[in-house]
Amino acid sequence: MATAAASASSTERSVLEEEFKWLLKEEVHSVLKQLQDILKEASRRFTLPGGVGEGPTKQENFALGTTSSDQVKGILTLQGDTLCQAEVNLKTLRTNQLLHFAFREDKQWKMQQIQDARNHVNQAIYLLTNRGENYTFQTGAEVLKLMDAVMLQLTRARNRLTTPATMTLPEVATSGLTKMFTPALPPDILLNFYVNVNKLCLLVYQLHALQPNSTKNFRPSGSAVLHNPGAMFELNNQRFEVSHVHKVECVVPWLNDALVFFTVSLQLCQQLKDKISVFSSYWNFRPY
Amino acid sequence: MKHTIQAVALWENRAPEHSITTIMITEDQKTIVTGSSEGQICLWHLSEDMKITSKAILFGHTTAVTCLAKARDFEKQPYIVSATEDGEMCVWNVANSQCIENAKLPYKHTAICYYHCSFRMTGEGWLLCCGHYQDVLIVDAKTLQVLNTFQTQASDWISCMCIVHSTRIQEDSLVAISVAGDLQVWDLSSSVNSIQEKQNVYELESKFLELPNCCAVRFCTFTERLLLVICSSSWRVFDYCDFSLLCTEIHKGNQSFAGGEFLARNRLIIWTVDGHSYIYQLLNSGLSKSVCPTEGGILKETITPQLLCSTSVEKKNVCAMGFMNERKEPFLKILYSGDISGRISFWHIPDILVPQTDGSPQEVQRKTTITLQEIFDRHKSMSEGIIDHLVTHEEGMAYVMITSSIYIANLDKLVCGCENGKIVITSALHAARARLLKDHLLLKGSLPHKIFEGHNFSITSLLYPHGESEKFDPTWLISGDQNSTVIWRDVFTGQIFHKFFLQAGSIMKLLVPPDDYKVKLFQTVYCICSDNSVALLNLQERMCLFHARKHLFPVKMLKWHPIEDVLIVGCEDGSVYVWEIETGTLERHETGDIAKAILSSCENYNIVMADSIITSSKEVQRNRRTTYKSSNSYKLGTLSHNLFQNEKASNKAADSSYISRPFSVVPVKSKYNISLHLLLFDLEKVLELLHLSQANGLKSANSFSTYDALKTVKNSSEKRPLTLKRNKTAGSFYQGDGQMPETFVQENVGHLNEESGGTKRNKKFKSSKRNKIESEGKIDVNMITDAAKLFLSCLVPWGLDKELDIFCIRHLDILEIQSSVTFGIISSVDHIGLMLPGWNQIVNNDNSAISLHHSFIKKVMELSSKYSMATQKQSEKCSHQECNHFNTMNLNTLAYILKKLCVVSKGLRMEPVSTFSSIISQEKMESVRVKWKSSEHFNSFSMFSAELLQDKNFPEPENVSLIKLVSSWKGQSVQVIEAMQAVLLAELKRRMQSVLETVITTQPIAVVDSVDNGHTSHPESSDSIELQSIANHSMQSPGAVVKCESESKSVKFQEDEVSQEKCGLEDSDSPDDMKQNAWMAKMCYCKVC
Repeated sequence: MATAAASASSTERSVLEEEFKWLLKEEVHSVLKQLQDILKEASRRFTLPGGVGEGPTKQENFALGTTSSDQVKGILTLQGDTLCQAEVNLKTLRTNQLLHFAFREDKQWKMQQIQDARNHVNQAIYLLTNRGENYTFQTGAEVLKLMDAVMLQLTRARNRLTTPATMTLPEVATSGLTKMFTPALPPDILLNFYVNVNKLCLLVYQLHALQPNSTKNFRPSGSAVLHNPGAMFELNNQRFEVSHVHKVECVVPWLNDALVFFTVSLQLCQQLKDKISVFSSYWNFRPY
Repeated sequence: MKHTIQAVALWENRAPEHSITTIMITEDQKTIVTGSSEGQICLWHLSEDMKITSKAILFGHTTAVTCLAKARDFEKQPYIVSATEDGEMCVWNVANSQCIENAKLPYKHTAICYYHCSFRMTGEGWLLCCGHYQDVLIVDAKTLQVLNTFQTQASDWISCMCIVHSTRIQEDSLVAISVAGDLQVWDLSSSVNSIQEKQNVYELESKFLELPNCCAVRFCTFTERLLLVICSSSWRVFDYCDFSLLCTEIHKGNQSFAGGEFLARNRLIIWTVDGHSYIYQLLNSGLSKSVCPTEGGILKETITPQLLCSTSVEKKNVCAMGFMNERKEPFLKILYSGDISGRISFWHIPDILVPQTDGSPQEVQRKTTITLQEIFDRHKSMSEGIIDHLVTHEEGMAYVMITSSIYIANLDKLVCGCENGKIVITSALHAARARLLKDHLLLKGSLPHKIFEGHNFSITSLLYPHGESEKFDPTWLISGDQNSTVIWRDVFTGQIFHKFFLQAGSIMKLLVPPDDYKVKLFQTVYCICSDNSVALLNLQERMCLFHARKHLFPVKMLKWHPIEDVLIVGCEDGSVYVWEIETGTLERHETGDIAKAILSSCENYNIVMADSIITSSKEVQRNRRTTYKSSNSYKLGTLSHNLFQNEKASNKAADSSYISRPFSVVPVKSKYNISLHLLLFDLEKVLELLHLSQANGLKSANSFSTYDALKTVKNSSEKRPLTLKRNKTAGSFYQGDGQMPETFVQENVGHLNEESGGTKRNKKFKSSKRNKIESEGKIDVNMITDAAKLFLSCLVPWGLDKELDIFCIRHLDILEIQSSVTFGIISSVDHIGLMLPGWNQIVNNDNSAISLHHSFIKKVMELSSKYSMATQKQSEKCSHQECNHFNTMNLNTLAYILKKLCVVSKGLRMEPVSTFSSIISQEKMESVRVKWKSSEHFNSFSMFSAELLQDKNFPEPENVSLIKLVSSWKGQSVQVIEAMQAVLLAELKRRMQSVLETVITTQPIAVVDSVDNGHTSHPESSDSIELQSIANHSMQSPGAVVKCESESKSVKFQEDEVSQEKCGLEDSDSPDDMKQNAWMAKMCYCKVC
């Protein structure tokens, strides 16, 4: 391909230049349009789950559970990026008593991962709308830069959903989520919500306090998404150990859609970059 | 960390790419700061008549700069802060291009506001940051640590904010608008305490504006009442008192607004994304014309905007814009913009703005515009390619662009791959000299070099495998071009061993696995191609082992599994491909979490890739940083060979790979070409090696006219033939011709060529391999001397004083420079500022009559005189002693000057911990002595005697006063280069004086010396002298041509010394001096006795 360019006659060269001009004038814009459509669709998922209809963000109910055990069950109401209601039923192993908690009426919990992902997508859309159809790209480098910027946003949006934040146990304990329930959570229970890929997850940690004079070797655990039983931490001069961990989850369909849209748009971006780059070899690194 | 490394940048013809993403002007309206998507920050100087010249470019970030802001009260400290896409923050001193502080936080900031409340706050103030995260972060301006956050009930990203400071309201507030369109207000001044106590601070008020995509919010400081909110589709004016809407203006056509500012009372300027701007007058319509505080809010006036003026640009480019509106005299109202192509433009907005007579808006003409490339073109002499003089220009091409280059340290060779497919190999030191020095112009064409052909396309990557791993032959050079051709050849003869054709786009990178990775396959090279594939070439078998082509996204990382024979490829999208090396089959393809786990499982065996400009100081980088970066960022090492070395090295040996070189060259690559070569001089190492070589009785630099010199020439020529022998091409190439003065160079070439026909060469050739390996460890003294001289040439303020120039050329044996030198300011392990061509224009325009190559002349002169005052007492006596010695022991002088410069450089760059404070008091001398031990090595002529001396030695008094002076300069943000120049100037002047005196008092200078008088020939150590070293020295000195100095004369000098000492005692009034002198006198007496 590039060898051809070297020996290319002037007519070939002019044809190539024409082709490049067409790429910048027509093809780039059609790809950008396509990208915008896909991303708008993705963005709509965040505000209007299901992607249809108008009006305020719809509320959806999700039942959390696992197939393996029924110790923890939860019903969550998700409105866009906000958990506006949550009910958690917990059957403790030792006492076999049934505990029930729900969000207080005045409290809502923001799922930061979803919010960040939505904002990143909107940033990407904003970048694209600034180069609308009547914007003329003068150089290929300009397109590459735009694509890099868009891809960065999309990668971050995707990573935000696929990689939940790692937290230390004291961070979980002080996160404010514990104060949102009625009746108040007992001190030996910790909760945490997060998104992992297309799943909404609830973690319930059951703790038992370590005696100050216990012979057990105290080693505080670091940051993790999920802390295994045996993990220890110190809070307010009191040492705790995780005795049981329960993880329940449910699939949020529109998160899955959004992730697919991200992947497709990322590939579109990369393809457009590749198309531009092909011509770079003809221009021999001069500004093309 | 090395404090004595000095950098000189050799720019190429093409300016580095600089796509401006953000722009600001400092409050004194003298410096423009631009941040680019490549990660560099450029400092420009704006003169009073609105002329722009480039000043410096700051390397340090590797991802796009997202915002810039001032970081201190600008009048006190000229500091700015920069933030990048990947969360790095850096505080820079724009006056001397130094990096003051840097930090990496997991936040991308899009706007930063500096806030300082002197009477309530301790510390240097806050940086209020917003960006791609919830709420507003409060970052300490000094430490760059997060102090607290301004929280909101409905936490969301903040898209823009501004500080409202109003004398009327008596309370500073922060107004911010979230991406969803929520306007929030926090109290600033009254919440200082609670923030310092880490309490939660929530917003005071909030209002939902229903304005998505807000770009800017501004408070009118003229009326102290209006709030301007700009979003991409419209701008609105609100009443700050109750946030009621006063006016709305929707954009016309398809332009989207980007920002705006209040110009004056009821006048505002709005600019768009593509670089246009509009000035509006706000006309009060409705009931009241005067602006009065609202009462009740029932009688609400509305405002109608009238377009007064506009500015426009021909080319629609994405711009970053700003407006500077200082009300202090004689400042101007400046609208500035920087666009994606790197062009910055300025408009001067007149104070009186009237629409044209027909009511249509007037157009304000652009005042000035410039790009970096234009400045480079204007200063050809400073932006000339390093090998331009070697390569014959092709038709229609002004110059040949270097697209790739590497420096082979142990051969001192610079290998440059050009866009026309040629590979030019030359001695790096020679190329640098030819480029920098004046008289070398004549030699340019004849400089030894070789040009290898073979590629038809531009060379995109070069690899010297022996530099990475011992298992490769030291003669091999591998080059890859844009057409997927990889050529493996002999670096000395150019003989092509094999050509690989990969058919995979251009070769982005060539690399070899780390040395400690146990490979079954010996001598393999990996190629990363532009079609995202990775090819594995086996050199011995001369075949492509396998070509991994499945990757959808660019390859970001290569890792080798420690045990299994697999190659792990990390792609830009986070996916991982695991290839079995032996069979070339794809074993696994993973994304997300599993991919991360795989990558982290073989943390130690990775090679990271990058294609942005990488900070050149990576070279100087410590291991700690490198591993940190490579493990969790997307940065890549274009300078990968350095990176790899560092990675391989264990912590303690982190610096060794670099530090062992007194002189080295680092090519800095931008996306498509090499934008500059950085020459690094390690003064301390130079000194150490100079003295070491002297101690070992090696040839001295000035002995070229003697038998010794002939021997030297022979010695070096004996080494060379092994290269010449194989050299079948016409160009002669040899390494390290060393100290031979310029006039000799050509003769040498002839001489060598002649000899190369000789038969004895054949013998040498056989042993070439062994020789080469030996030579790796050894560094040629001549090369060191030349490097040191080259550095001094760069530093000497030429043209200041004719006599001084002549003195330097004659006695120091250094040459005048061709044009201004662009120095580098190394401020930390990976932050470096480089002067740009054109920096010398900044001050020069007033005294352009004298063609000065250095612009800080004035400042340097001042510093220089300060320095000579401060050190006069101690040095007067020395200078007398030195002068005798001066002409013959040129190397000593060199060493002496270098030592001084070393001290200055160290003093200015070292953290002010204990070092300086302790120096003052004599009690703490001990600790100082330890610190300065290394520099004391240079007092003695041998390392051996230095060790002996260490126990009894004290820091030289002259150095103590120098350090004191330097520490005071440190506070005044004096540049290292300036200080070094000042010291150099003072020292040179003093020396010149003494030489002139000597000429009068003594007969032929060339033969003056003293064998009998130990300390006269031992200038620097006169105070710390010790019998052993005297003995030592007198044993070594006979190498020089000598004649006895008259006894009476030396006696007289000693008398002088003593009397001066006493004067010093009487004169001194400060207690410090007192102590010093007393101590000094004591020492001296001992010595005299």
